Amino acid sequence: MKKSISLMLTAMLSISILSGCTKATPKTSDSGVKQEYSTVYSGELTTLNYLVTASENEFAAAANLVDCLVDYDKYGVVKPALAKDWTVSSDGLVWTFNLREGVKWVTNDGKEYAEVQAQDFVDAMKYVLDKKNNSETSNIAYSALKNGEKFYKGETTDFSEVGIKAKSKYVLEYTLGATTPYFLSMLTYVCFMPVNGKFLSEAGAKFGTDNKNLLYNGAYILQTFEPQNSRVLIANDNYWDKANVFIKKLTYSYNKEATTLSPELFSRGQITDATIPTASIDEWMKDTTKKETVRPLATTFYSYFYALNFDPKFDAKYEPANWKIAVNNLSFRKSLFSALDKKAAMMTAEPYEPERRLSNTITPKNFIDLKGVDYTQLGTLAKTSAQSNFDSAKAKDYKTKAMEELKGKVTFPVKIVMPYSTASSDWTNRAQVIEQQMENLLGKDYIDIIILPYPPTGFLNATRRAGNYSFMECNWGPDYADPQTYTDPFSTEGNYNKINLATDYKESNGKGKYENMVNAAKAEVLDTEKRYKLFAEAEQFLIDEAFVIPYSLGGGGFIASKLEPFTSPYSPFGVSANKFKGQKIMDKAMNTENYKKSFEAWQIERAAALKVASTVK
Amino acid sequence: MLKYSLKRLGKSIITLFIVISIVFLFMRLMPEEGYFGQGYEKLDLIQRQTILTNLGLNDPWYVQLGHFYKDLLKGDLGTSITYRPKVAVSEIIKSKIFYSLNFGLGALAIALVAGISSGILMARNKNKFWDKLGNGYIVIINAVPAAVYYIFLQLYVTDIFKLPILFDKGNPLSFILPVLSMSLGPTASYAMWMRRYMVDELNKDYIKLARAKGLSNRVIMTKHVLRNAFVPMAQYLPASILYTLVGSIYIESLYSIPGTGGLLVDTIQRQDNPIVQALVLIYASVGIISLFLGDMLMAGFDPRINLEKQGGTR
Amino acid sequence: MSNTKLDKIVDKIDPSLFDFASYDASGAERTGYSDYSYWQSTFHVFLKNKVAVALLILITALVAYTVLQPYLPNQKSPTTIYNNVKTGIQLRNQAPDKEFLFGTNSIGQDLWSRIWSGTRTSLQIGMLVGVWQAIIGITIGCLWGYVRKLDGIITEIYNVLDNIPNTIIMVLLAYILRPSIFTLVVAMCITNWLSMARFVRNQIIIIRDREYNLASRCLGTPISRIITKNLLPYLVSVIMLQLALAIPMAIGSEVFLTYIGLGLPLNTPSLGNLINEGRIIMMVPSLRYQLIFPAVVLSVITISFYVIGNTFADASDPRNHV
Repeated sequence: MKKSISLMLTAMLSISILSGCTKATPKTSDSGVKQEYSTVYSGELTTLNYLVTASENEFAAAANLVDCLVDYDKYGVVKPALAKDWTVSSDGLVWTFNLREGVKWVTNDGKEYAEVQAQDFVDAMKYVLDKKNNSETSNIAYSALKNGEKFYKGETTDFSEVGIKAKSKYVLEYTLGATTPYFLSMLTYVCFMPVNGKFLSEAGAKFGTDNKNLLYNGAYILQTFEPQNSRVLIANDNYWDKANVFIKKLTYSYNKEATTLSPELFSRGQITDATIPTASIDEWMKDTTKKETVRPLATTFYSYFYALNFDPKFDAKYEPANWKIAVNNLSFRKSLFSALDKKAAMMTAEPYEPERRLSNTITPKNFIDLKGVDYTQLGTLAKTSAQSNFDSAKAKDYKTKAMEELKGKVTFPVKIVMPYSTASSDWTNRAQVIEQQMENLLGKDYIDIIILPYPPTGFLNATRRAGNYSFMECNWGPDYADPQTYTDPFSTEGNYNKINLATDYKESNGKGKYENMVNAAKAEVLDTEKRYKLFAEAEQFLIDEAFVIPYSLGGGGFIASKLEPFTSPYSPFGVSANKFKGQKIMDKAMNTENYKKSFEAWQIERAAALKVASTVK
Repeated sequence: MLKYSLKRLGKSIITLFIVISIVFLFMRLMPEEGYFGQGYEKLDLIQRQTILTNLGLNDPWYVQLGHFYKDLLKGDLGTSITYRPKVAVSEIIKSKIFYSLNFGLGALAIALVAGISSGILMARNKNKFWDKLGNGYIVIINAVPAAVYYIFLQLYVTDIFKLPILFDKGNPLSFILPVLSMSLGPTASYAMWMRRYMVDELNKDYIKLARAKGLSNRVIMTKHVLRNAFVPMAQYLPASILYTLVGSIYIESLYSIPGTGGLLVDTIQRQDNPIVQALVLIYASVGIISLFLGDMLMAGFDPRINLEKQGGTR
Repeated sequence: MSNTKLDKIVDKIDPSLFDFASYDASGAERTGYSDYSYWQSTFHVFLKNKVAVALLILITALVAYTVLQPYLPNQKSPTTIYNNVKTGIQLRNQAPDKEFLFGTNSIGQDLWSRIWSGTRTSLQIGMLVGVWQAIIGITIGCLWGYVRKLDGIITEIYNVLDNIPNTIIMVLLAYILRPSIFTLVVAMCITNWLSMARFVRNQIIIIRDREYNLASRCLGTPISRIITKNLLPYLVSVIMLQLALAIPMAIGSEVFLTYIGLGLPLNTPSLGNLINEGRIIMMVPSLRYQLIFPAVVLSVITISFYVIGNTFADASDPRNHV
């Protein structure tokens, strides 16, 4: 008895004594704000080997450690990086790059190891295309380079046949398999990064397993790397562009509960930025002091849309044949198209200003432009992007039409199978919202949406890839900066909703109309304007025929951050957007009003810069 | 006893073998999608097949099992495939076990001391103040879900006492709160069972005789009641000690402790087969050994228990 | 020689001290009668503890209410989303008011009906798992502890099953059978009986060679009778405590499984996922009610079962039947 009391007393006493010696967090208030960044994160890096990974987290790390041939400035204009300048042959197949001289590879202690040369790019590509290295980005590389796929499959073992050569110490030449107008944008992707061949072969399998087995030529060096604990990056003194690197130290602390704890840590001044989770955002906006520190976070280029399946292969009790007939009817599809209230659905993920993330086109806005005009404003897409799909009157109209046209052929209500992954509570909520919203609007006599929960294990293979859905939320991210990338899911080889099986669209050459439109656009490799316009028409067709319902963009949300926005490189594709080069830390966080003003200013400046850049091209 | 121990050892090895093989096969039932992480959508068929073949996952299951055992006999626990590719499993586990053991043993020590002494206190003062207080504590700890009170403690205690929120190995202060939080549940559990067993003992006839003989309360408690009451708890003691290396998922994720807590769940969900197999091997060995040691300990405390001799049964 | 001694003693006795006893025929027929009934006494002692009785009534009322709640008037469906009539926007995160007694959650569903529906689901799961655990766990535990021939085999089976991580079984079952109440119950039944079996086995090992059991064996009592008449009654109090906690522990496991992402999907509310949802928004003071209500319900259930179990365990010890 006495033991337990005394134990408890001692414990309390020691805690109160120790709390007396508090650990003071040094607040730096010297001239200028201390340019050191710190944050907590919950997604740990599995590897530092940028040549094999396909994970966003790892791209973000690699972007700061290794540079590419080209880079983007804060307006999204291509600028030289490791390459000073470049030329393209007239047929568009041979790209020659002149490298900047005197750029050094350094080890993680900052010691110089070797100079960056053209051969480094060749060695890196050989590693990526050698199938025993298990690179997850090989297909991006071999889709562009001549004979790349052949080498990967083992049909040829002579690497010199592959379209990449070091013509001399500082001249690098790529030979493409086919004219690829967007090739330049692919160069900012990890599979086109260089590596020092000697270091790579010495490190062998250990390359990229920790910060010592890696060489750096980028803006930062990885000083410490302790998985599940922390990592620290410091500015690289040997960086060729070090004048543009303002933040000198980046500290990342790992915490699995980062999303819950980071807002609290930000309020206590211990970290530089924290994403505010959707549940807390109302709270932060109501508090007058906290409101001043919160601003919107930019949307990404991940496009989310609802796909209508033309090749249903689900359980007979959900009547797939019935769905198949219904989905081939234009009025039926259009009724669903007009009935989806995207704003209500988006409220589950982004209750504050949901419109910001909504998109009326598949290709996101600010992705690519044509002489300063955004792609989503080309041709009829301009009207589509401006108006929302949701129109209850039209939906009911189409419903009546569809019921007439399909009378006798289809049993109403049509069962609609909508699977979702239980791993995301947002998606679970959204599925319920959409089910009830659409059924209430169109009536339970017309459609019966059945939502099916699936575990995250093997989700895609159990649902979309197996055709096990009627109507489902899907997403797609770009592989390069060209509208063609957003047509890939809908191609005949794609495994999304198989629109090539739609019955009413076959043209004389046996292929569907959409496919012909896209092929015509793809064939146009020399005239960029014509190419973009053809793709815009194809996308307009896709949306008009209601094969898919564009829904939203990724990203968004709100962040409390002291980082100055619009200072980092801006690129629709590749790793540049993750760079800390060019970014500055402000004295205090920017609030929403100022952010919106800066955003508008930035958009104007960007349009101007893009226009200038296109004339120079 | 030696013969019994050897027999059990022999059986344990067979059991280990069966457990690992079953887990191995279960992991192979998982879909291939899980091995590729985020990039799955963009990979084409050739790439997927190549990667799977390189990882050895396309071989028939008995070939894979054979490789695994061959490596195991050489002492090689394999290399990770998705968690930290190309890094040796033993390296990953070694550093983490150290942290989990430290926190676990600390919490266990506190829980044993506090829990058992509270249990004794409660039993001796049955239905009086200390008993009600102790019961109140036990009930609250069991009623409120751990996930909830852990986070409350983390946020409010660190605020009041100015302790650091996240664990930092350089700062000894940051050890306190995780260890204390971890000990709360087991303390309640030990207190509850100790009280129950002691109350049961105190009701027995021989205690009445001891009181009639005039033995002091203290002697009755220490020489008779405690020893008898402790016997059933002794079975679990080795398990509690050895299982500290498994780590606590909640505490470690809240305080950023790089331990083994969430490792098993994480690696199962990420389908990193080598790590899962290595962990199961370690945890299974621990489990089997602790069951055995528990039996030994129990028999040691109570001479009436006989693990091997028949004693006249059929 | 002894005869004379005895005669001397007999002579010294005073006859007036003795009386002849009379023969009472009816008295000879009277047999011993004790109206002691074990269970009656147990309940008698149990009912003396006011707190336990109060909680028993509370818990019975709670269970009754969860069963009756959907049939009462003015109750809303747990899955329907309520929209603001004027704007059509969901009535998200409304604090408790007259319309929604417990408020609404983040997509506008009525929390009052969700909590009762969730309690129903969790209690169902808890009871199914608890009953299964009791029957299988106790049976196997007894056999394991008592019959030495089976000790070896069952120990190894226990070792195999115990050491296969529950997570793998859960993930595989969720993948093959898809998340649902059935999957959860199956998964928990497969894995939870082990601890009960081990617990019972430990207790039996302690008492199996006590003298009274040796005696029974000598008399040739069959094993089943020894187990049911000698061993189990001795263990009633500890088994009762373990059983009483089975339901709260099943709900606790469900909360943990939901935490690691393997629980029921949100469109089937249960205490586990309601608490998990609430935990995520715990940091926001105005939304804390979403955590407090399910946590209170869970606490009430746990506390009641704990106190009832403890009191019943105390009451079932015959030495407490005064």
